[in-house]
Amino acid sequence: MPLTGVETARMNRKKGDKGFESPRPYKLTHQVVCINNINFQRKSVVGFVELTIFPTVANLNRIKLNSKQCRIYRVRINDLEAAFIYNDPTLEVCHSESKQRNLNYFSNAYAAAVSAVDPDAGNGELCIKVPSELWKHVDELKVLKIHINFSLDQPKGGLHFVVPSVEGSMAERGAHVFSCGYQNSTRFWFPCVDSYSELCTWKLEFTVDAAMVAVSNGDLVETVYTHDMRKKTFHYMLTIPTAASNISLAIGPFEILVDPYMHEVTHFCLPQLLPLLKHTTSYLHEVFEFYEEILTCRYPYSCFKTVFIDEAYVEVAAYASMSIFSTNLLHSAMIIDETPLTRRCLAQSLAQQFFGCFISRMSWSDEWVLKGISGYIYGLWMKKTFGVNEYRHWIKEELDRIVAYELKTGGVLLHPIFGGGKEKDNPASHLHFSIKHPHTLSWEYYTMFQCKAHLVMRLIENRISMEFMLQVFNKLLSLASTASSQKFQSHMWSQMLVSTSGFLKSISNVSGKDIQPLIKQWVDQSGVVKFYGSFAFNRKRNVLELEIKQDYTSPGTQKYVGPLKVTVQELDGSFNHTLQIEENSLKHDIPCHSKSRRNKKKKIPLMNGEEVDMDLSAMDADSPLLWIRIDPDMSVLRKVEFEQADFMWQYQLRYERDVVAQQESILALEKFPTPASRLALTDILEQEQCFYRVRMSACFCLAKIANSMVSTWTGPPAMKSLFTRMFCCKSCPNIVKTNNFMSFQSYFLQKTMPVAMALLRDVHNLCPKEVLTFILDLIKYNDNRKNKFSDNYYRAEMIDALANSVTPAVSVNNEVRTLDNLNPDVRLILEEITRFLNMEKLLPSYRHTITVSCLRAIRVLQKNGHVPSDPALFKSYAEYGHFVDIRIAALEAVVDYTKVDRSYEELQWLLNMIQDDPVPYVRHKILNMLTKNPPFTKNMESPLCNEALVDQLWKLMNSGTSHDWRLRCGAVDLYFTLFGLSRPSCLPLPELGLVLNLKEKKAVLNPTIIPEAVAINQEAANNPSSHPQLVGFQNPFSSSQDEEEIDMDTVHDSQAFISHHLNMLERPSTPGLSKYRPASSRSALIPQHSTGCDSTPTTKPQWSLELARKGTGKEQSPLEMGMHPVASAPLSVFTKESTASKHSDHHHHHHHEHKKKKKKHKHKHKHKHKHDSKEKDKEPFTFSSPASGRSIRSPSLSD
Amino acid sequence: MAEAAATAGAGGSGTRSGSKQSTNPADNYHLARRRTLQVVVSSLLTEAGFESAEKASVETLTEMLQSYISEIGRSAKSYCEHTARTQPTLSDIVVTLVEMGFNVDTLPAYAKRSQRMVITAPEFPDPHTYIKTPTYREPVSDYQVLREKAASQRRDVERALTRFMAKTGETQSLFKDDVSTFPLIAARPFTIPYLTALLPSELEMQQMEETDSSEQDEQTDTENLALHISMEDSGAEKENTSVLQQNPSLSGSRNGEENIIDNPYLRPVKKPKIRRKKPDTF
Repeated sequence: MPLTGVETARMNRKKGDKGFESPRPYKLTHQVVCINNINFQRKSVVGFVELTIFPTVANLNRIKLNSKQCRIYRVRINDLEAAFIYNDPTLEVCHSESKQRNLNYFSNAYAAAVSAVDPDAGNGELCIKVPSELWKHVDELKVLKIHINFSLDQPKGGLHFVVPSVEGSMAERGAHVFSCGYQNSTRFWFPCVDSYSELCTWKLEFTVDAAMVAVSNGDLVETVYTHDMRKKTFHYMLTIPTAASNISLAIGPFEILVDPYMHEVTHFCLPQLLPLLKHTTSYLHEVFEFYEEILTCRYPYSCFKTVFIDEAYVEVAAYASMSIFSTNLLHSAMIIDETPLTRRCLAQSLAQQFFGCFISRMSWSDEWVLKGISGYIYGLWMKKTFGVNEYRHWIKEELDRIVAYELKTGGVLLHPIFGGGKEKDNPASHLHFSIKHPHTLSWEYYTMFQCKAHLVMRLIENRISMEFMLQVFNKLLSLASTASSQKFQSHMWSQMLVSTSGFLKSISNVSGKDIQPLIKQWVDQSGVVKFYGSFAFNRKRNVLELEIKQDYTSPGTQKYVGPLKVTVQELDGSFNHTLQIEENSLKHDIPCHSKSRRNKKKKIPLMNGEEVDMDLSAMDADSPLLWIRIDPDMSVLRKVEFEQADFMWQYQLRYERDVVAQQESILALEKFPTPASRLALTDILEQEQCFYRVRMSACFCLAKIANSMVSTWTGPPAMKSLFTRMFCCKSCPNIVKTNNFMSFQSYFLQKTMPVAMALLRDVHNLCPKEVLTFILDLIKYNDNRKNKFSDNYYRAEMIDALANSVTPAVSVNNEVRTLDNLNPDVRLILEEITRFLNMEKLLPSYRHTITVSCLRAIRVLQKNGHVPSDPALFKSYAEYGHFVDIRIAALEAVVDYTKVDRSYEELQWLLNMIQDDPVPYVRHKILNMLTKNPPFTKNMESPLCNEALVDQLWKLMNSGTSHDWRLRCGAVDLYFTLFGLSRPSCLPLPELGLVLNLKEKKAVLNPTIIPEAVAINQEAANNPSSHPQLVGFQNPFSSSQDEEEIDMDTVHDSQAFISHHLNMLERPSTPGLSKYRPASSRSALIPQHSTGCDSTPTTKPQWSLELARKGTGKEQSPLEMGMHPVASAPLSVFTKESTASKHSDHHHHHHHEHKKKKKKHKHKHKHKHKHDSKEKDKEPFTFSSPASGRSIRSPSLSD
Repeated sequence: MAEAAATAGAGGSGTRSGSKQSTNPADNYHLARRRTLQVVVSSLLTEAGFESAEKASVETLTEMLQSYISEIGRSAKSYCEHTARTQPTLSDIVVTLVEMGFNVDTLPAYAKRSQRMVITAPEFPDPHTYIKTPTYREPVSDYQVLREKAASQRRDVERALTRFMAKTGETQSLFKDDVSTFPLIAARPFTIPYLTALLPSELEMQQMEETDSSEQDEQTDTENLALHISMEDSGAEKENTSVLQQNPSLSGSRNGEENIIDNPYLRPVKKPKIRRKKPDTF
């Protein structure tokens, strides 16, 4: 959309008014990333970066950048050597308090650690000191060029190397490497400002083996051989300002495919997969066309690249002008099931190109706008591509997911606002993790967050119309593209960032509507609405009395006030009513239109104008109501439980044309196992015009109904005759037709029906013999020779069906399972599984779907006691080197085994795999599966729950997973599931069994060790808002004076003490937990080395210090090197910090004394009290604590 | 050949070659065949206008003819066996002749030529003395039985095969006490697992070719297109076609006017500059 000059100027000015405020005292304008050596054998990378920055404040003397796991050799600013410190508190979250093992404590500490390096708060792991020679230069706000040489050795996150161990050169082996990670993770592979809000232009250079291709962001300018002609260098330029977090890289011996429809689009895949790539990407141009058309905006980048790689971190990852996909999305023309899934992935990534890559976000709390818009336009694409039915079905599915999640965990907040960081205002106190940072979020929460974001966008669309919605998007895009073309006006670039307020302003400008209530309800507030509806028909008044109740007290719910649409289908037609849901009104009277008794033979008009004949005999003769729907358009994020008679549900299923209504009625009919329900479902199954997904779920509902009606069921097993009629030969009904999957709808039905049938049970609760024979016959006569499509998914579902037919074995006093006492039916099943599994070795199916199903079926047999329970088979399939789907299926079985058999050995095996497996996705998945299917939970007695396990998991989340945010959050989730928020019950009581409340002068049991039964109450008590005594500690920004008083007076349990200690860390001006701590003090906190000052010589801060020393010459002593306090930090803070740290040391110390003299601990506390105050007096003048020493000698203060 | 025949001149005509008497019946057959061939060669020579030929030249020609015919036989046999038959058919012979560089189309005309010499052969004996009429059972055409048979046959093959594989290789078992009833071929990790998982098997590829006609159409389309381009360009723009062949994606390109796609990844890699401005130092 072309903008006139005036318009642009006006927009710019308006934006400028409340422009983006950078948290950094400088502006980054350009960055060079040059990787001159990549060694696949050693999995190492060597290179340098050069950042061009302009100071925005005069006395800029240190620059904070993000960098993780990189080894930094040398930093130069404008060719002058610069001192630097590399410190990362997230490496090890909790150093002290090793006895605590309390998740509450950990989560706070973790959030503090992430904050301490959060680029959005202007922090970073790497702190560079501007050489004094440049201070004058800086004061004139002149350009600085920071040149950093770095290397990466065996990176565990950020960059993933895939190096198959076969013969041949790296290119022949298909070795490749690619960047990956969750949210902003670019700091894992090169030093940068790893924020979505710091945009700059890029020059990227990668020198790789001549047989390899390096794919990165922006335009490939040229490819040049090195002098020895054995390598080549790829030069990329990205002139559109882009955040470092959107920079990516993929290097490998890729096959190159230029899109035949769009020559500026290039696809890459691993060797031998080119035919699949051709087929898979042949569709992409249509997605491009669709988005460009609805957004009336061209694709913002001059080129686009798709790369398909193995061992992907996520299926789809979108970066500036390129997307990285899992190679497992590739498929041939014969595959049906994968095709829509892959296309959805392609469309999703492309939507994120516009919103997410090109348009970035201002801060984490604006993330929902980007996720929402990209998810929303992706939904529009779905609607256009797969049809309205599929779209509505998807929306319903997403809605159900978010509702289920919020009700379970207590709410997803799209736009968290942190009022000064007060714990009291913590909007997510119900969660076991902080939602302040993307990196502390549970993965599941994050997926639900995205889900909710796009649903809310849809709600906004409902409110302001799609046309306006698209205009808003177009406005955002055209503003951004105007800004992006301003090459040398980096202050303009902030217009490429979207913020919640900017977005809302755009909406009100474009539409003129006030959507504030909607935003307040769904964006600023978490929770969903839970409606309970019931009705009565008042014949006298001819009025429908509808009662709608809400549950807004359970966790995850909120109160809804506002309009609510209700659709009533009457004999005379369908009528929409908009009710006003208010505080106290539960009952709503809706006048009915159909006055009298129904006219015979009159067609009934439906919502869509269609008129149908209905058999009305089932109806209540007095009521004209056919069915009622509450909120049919899903314009509230809600769960509706509505009561209406079974015949109404049946009418709704048969005649309502909306797939969502059909789906809902199917769900409701489960509760009405009557012949009428059976008939309605069977009719739906037979109806060709009915949406296939509805028919599929009707299958399962029918199976459930049949089981409930088992004593009165007549005729052959449910669905059997139907299946025979639809898919078997006319002449011989027991033989299925040779496969022909040309009609996808009947294909899906053919696949699903046997699976549902296998769930049928007879009066003995066994699967009827007839059904089993039927399924075995389907397998036997399966013939795919004449089929255009592969039948691998179909066969896999047949195995699933076999597994579904398995019922628990009748066991006579726990006999050992052997072949001899094998049930003959099971023998037949096993025969098939064996054959299928073995055939897979010879003729593998696509994505090994059959192996996956076989493994699942074997686990089912084991679990039901037909086959001895044994994890050995699964463990062999779970090994690295199998296809990832197989591994996951096998691991799932092992996880299940661990739970059922309470096997410590298998749990250990799984935990080891979490630590050592080469594939990040598998590690993540194991944690995820363990969380979903935990071996025990916090309220459960289990022999597995022991101290060693606690230690192991604690270590895993504390330090073992520092290279992967997602993994760490997964570990936190698991810890939460197993042990809850408070101290695990299996741990022995800590030494500090009793604590004193000096104020109330009494001793109480240490709350952290209260056993589980009480722990729940305790959790509530720990909730800061409900515990007045703790408020002071929870507030890190109250004056230090206050805190000291409280410190002295009300420290009454270690819990409060810790949170206090923690809050110190959250101060923006206070260095992070270990920030400036020399290696010696770190090791001092590890119990084994309690007195050692020289252990752990390999910790990173130490070497970087050493290097820094080398770099700067002899002018400064090592101690001084470390002194980089924040210029604005008040002195008191430092004093406080040192007190706190001292304090904790003493606290520790006292633990031991307590052990000896428990009886005297009241006295001890007093002693401690005194001790502290003494310490505090001394602190500022001694140099015993490095932190305090630094604060005194800081250059800014001496200035 | 005409020259050679000319130099042969008028040698002893009608020479009947090497008539060493042999008692071995095999040798007799050999000689008889040889003699027949000599008759053929001689009549062909006569047909070509020779009145006489040297013995050695007739012998050479006979030798050539014999090897030619033997080669046809050998090759036809191979073709026939290749398609799992034991009886060669006409098409086997045709393919053989084509393979040997013989233009089959000329054969009928040659056979009907006017000056053809007719070698008289003895009459065939009565048909019943040599005709074979094998009898078969009525072929089963019942659909159900056929499906049944196909299914069980396939199942048997699969089972036999997998059992064999299981017997010869490592196995896993679901029952500790019994390893033979349900033998599972042991899971073996792959070095590159995604290849087997994603690429269709040969069998499937074959099926795809057989069943998927639309794909084939498309393929031939693109082939034709490529052909057209190369024919058009054949004379003048050789360079263009070579570019086309290098570039795998272009065959898919539908817009004819754009012959060269300007995609940076297809551009040639540049040679390094002789001297860099600044060597990279650490």
